[in-house]
Amino acid sequence: MSTRVHPELRNQLMQFGIGDWNACYHCGTCTAQCPLSEEGFLFPRKKIRLMQMGLKDELEASVEPWLCYYCGDCSTSCPRDANPGELMMSLRRYLTSIYDWTGLSKKFYTSELWELFFILSFAALVVISFLLVLPSMGFHFTRELTAEGGVQVNAFAPIHVVETFDWAMALVVASLLISNILRMYYKIIWKYGNMKVSLWVHIREFWLLIFNFAVQPKFNKCDDKRYWLSHWFLMSGYTIMFIVIVVYLPWFQTERILPIWNPQRLLGYYATFGLLFGLFVAIFGRLQKKEIKFLFSHISDWLFLAMLTLTAITGILIHIFRINGMPLGTYISYIAHMAVLVPMILIEVPFSKWSHLAYRPFAVYFQQLKKYAVPR
Amino acid sequence: MEEPRIGVYVCWCGTNISKMVDVEAVTKEVGTLPGVVLSKNYKYMCSDPGQDLIIKDIKSHNLNRVIVAACSPRIHELTFRNACEKAGINPYLFEMANIREQDSWVHTDRTEATKKAIDLVIGAIRRVRYHEPLQKRSVNVDPATLIIGGGISGMTAALEIANAGKKVYLLERTDHLGGQVARFDLTFPHLSSARQMIRPMIQRVENHPMIIVYLNTELKEVSGYIGNFKARLVFNGAEQPEITFGNIIAAVGLKPFDPSVIAEYGYGKFPDVITSLEFEDKLRAGRILTKYGKEPRNVAIIHCVGSRNKQYHEYCSRVCCMVALKFVHEIRAALPDANIFEIYADMRAYGKGHEEFYAMTTHKQIIFLMYDQQKSLPLIREAYRDDDCNMLIEMNELLSGIDIEVPVDMVILMVNMEAHDNVKEVVRTIGVSLCGNQFFIEKHPKLDPVATTTGGVFIVGTCQGPKDIPDSVAQAKAAAARILATIAQGSVPVEVTTAVVNESFCCGCQTCISVCPYSAVSFDEAKKVSVVNEVLCKGCGTCGGCCPAGAITSKHFTDRQILSEIEGIMSMSY
Repeated sequence: MSTRVHPELRNQLMQFGIGDWNACYHCGTCTAQCPLSEEGFLFPRKKIRLMQMGLKDELEASVEPWLCYYCGDCSTSCPRDANPGELMMSLRRYLTSIYDWTGLSKKFYTSELWELFFILSFAALVVISFLLVLPSMGFHFTRELTAEGGVQVNAFAPIHVVETFDWAMALVVASLLISNILRMYYKIIWKYGNMKVSLWVHIREFWLLIFNFAVQPKFNKCDDKRYWLSHWFLMSGYTIMFIVIVVYLPWFQTERILPIWNPQRLLGYYATFGLLFGLFVAIFGRLQKKEIKFLFSHISDWLFLAMLTLTAITGILIHIFRINGMPLGTYISYIAHMAVLVPMILIEVPFSKWSHLAYRPFAVYFQQLKKYAVPR
Repeated sequence: MEEPRIGVYVCWCGTNISKMVDVEAVTKEVGTLPGVVLSKNYKYMCSDPGQDLIIKDIKSHNLNRVIVAACSPRIHELTFRNACEKAGINPYLFEMANIREQDSWVHTDRTEATKKAIDLVIGAIRRVRYHEPLQKRSVNVDPATLIIGGGISGMTAALEIANAGKKVYLLERTDHLGGQVARFDLTFPHLSSARQMIRPMIQRVENHPMIIVYLNTELKEVSGYIGNFKARLVFNGAEQPEITFGNIIAAVGLKPFDPSVIAEYGYGKFPDVITSLEFEDKLRAGRILTKYGKEPRNVAIIHCVGSRNKQYHEYCSRVCCMVALKFVHEIRAALPDANIFEIYADMRAYGKGHEEFYAMTTHKQIIFLMYDQQKSLPLIREAYRDDDCNMLIEMNELLSGIDIEVPVDMVILMVNMEAHDNVKEVVRTIGVSLCGNQFFIEKHPKLDPVATTTGGVFIVGTCQGPKDIPDSVAQAKAAAARILATIAQGSVPVEVTTAVVNESFCCGCQTCISVCPYSAVSFDEAKKVSVVNEVLCKGCGTCGGCCPAGAITSKHFTDRQILSEIEGIMSMSY
């Protein structure tokens, strides 16, 4: 069975940040020195070849781009300056747009105007909700402080309304993400290569998904261990924050000022530190451009970092203003926080760079399934 | 025979010989042998003081034989022969013993190497005793030149010689000058026009007072030898008056390979599978259109068609890779949105500016697909009904290992360059030989790539092997320079150490005639004996070795000389 060459794929891929890929002459140095490339899942050279040849179907069935953590060693050692690391990064963008059935991902990746328009629209909806919708439901802004001298947050942002909204948003994001992951599963496992994976293997290997989500052991296989650490801080901080805000909001958003060693505050401080540390490394690296992995920044990279930073800063401000009894500051930060957080979650998680939080661990899981696949 | 008075000179060659051979011992050992008048050694015999030593000794000791034990005769035999001549003795009374390449360089035991050196010198001493003085000879050179082939190589050589005021007969089989280059549109790597290059050249050749152009003319017969050839030409079936000339340049070129023998490509079956030359025709006409008059959306260029494949031709045609890249530039300029596929076996960009040209072409949004000649060739077949292309190329892509199908509307076959059908007649007529690939064989592949083993016959351009325009032109100018040098001399030296037939021993079996690689032996029907043409003979000795009657002797390589040398080498029993 021959695979059809799609010459027009070239033009499509170029919109995702891929420049001149004919520079590669297939010496294989990149693959030889990559600690993550393994028998049966060889990259980057093989994937570059698929791109050069316009083998669309093979490319979309590839799990390998997600197994790369972009340490940049391949690009450093490339004798032709073909930037294999960046080609893999661009492939991840392309694949994100392929998994997404709505077509929005492709729009966002290929046009910053579209992405900005959506972000700003969501932000505007949030601001309007706080200034017009919530007051009409009887919630209000108050200068009165609590007995401890804190700000009455729940009077302005009622916990059950916000919580309901959080759950709704989580549901939308989750259903989008899950449907995309199913499409990913379909392309990688179901449709491709006449193979079959038993249900038992699916169940037996499921732990890998959880383990890889929590620890990213593959990232730690890269020769440079520093970025595993900063990435892990960022990831764990984000996950903790996401869980306490979306799932346990009533426990987290309290008007009482709890003692500093209370788990609520300790978790919050840890998560804030994790986020800030990870963000600092990423932003500083991209500005400094000393490491090859930070050399090329797509607009989607900057938008993501900017939104996450703004979310973290406004979150910190809410906390400071609230415990110090500064109502105006608290409320303004709260609105700003939500105005950044909502579009970030709604756009970045299912459609853009943040989606890798799901695709990467799932890719490791799918890779494992492929290893146990039998011919159909 | 006069009594031999031999001078032996052993060279140190710096440390090259002296570190492995005890030069003093050799000098001493051979100094007492019969006929040896003196035996000396010196650090560098080939240096001016070394040569002066020989010259002085010949005069003062009245030497009549000289031996130098040093390096290979290939390097310095001429040096020492000239020294002998200066001192007033015949240069053929000199003999060289090679104690460097055959001894010091290849051995590790100093004692054994020294013994071997002594053996070799004794062999030379025994041999030189029987050397006879030989006289140098030369023949006059007719200043006209015959050039066979009116392509860019032949025309270049013709202009070069004619501009020096010497007459040129330029023979062309077809009805026009220009050869293959006249079919090209642009040239690589500078993308300059072939037409603008070849047209003025044709004009200059046709109008040159010293060049006589014969179109539609074939070479019937060539006779004679260096400096004095005669030829009969046939124009449109009618024989022309005989012409005479002193030198010949073969510039017959090569022709494009016919790909219809390769079943996979369907050439002749699919109208839009065309050869590179046919695509050049389209480019020169200014429109790239398919058979049905549409602009192709997908164009594939298949490399190595008939090349580097034992079934067709094993050699590489050298220029096709760059021509294919040149096509990319021309297609990209004419059809900016077309998809271009380079289906190649290896990309060869060996020449000046070629790698840069390749690098530049990779930015032209083309898809490179590699195939393995040894495994299978790409297969061209009709597209399916619902495909939006004319044909599909099925192939195993080597760098990915994946079986792919490539949608195409036009396929360009980069055809190999191969010998003309009548090349065997041509070489027989002018007396040169062909290699296994039917390319003309040069005298020396590195040191004499324009001459042949037949004196006065030179080869230029692609008939010597596939090459690009600059290489062809350079070779043509080199051959012209060689010929002009002999014309300027007025005469050329001919081989001295030729074969001689002893007519009374010759039985007329003609074995010698069948083995002579230079066609130098003929048969005298009246006397029923073989006759050696001393101008054509190169003294290779083949005839002498074959002669069942022992009737042929090679001068300077007589049985007596050779056997004495062997006896000498074997005489010491250690």
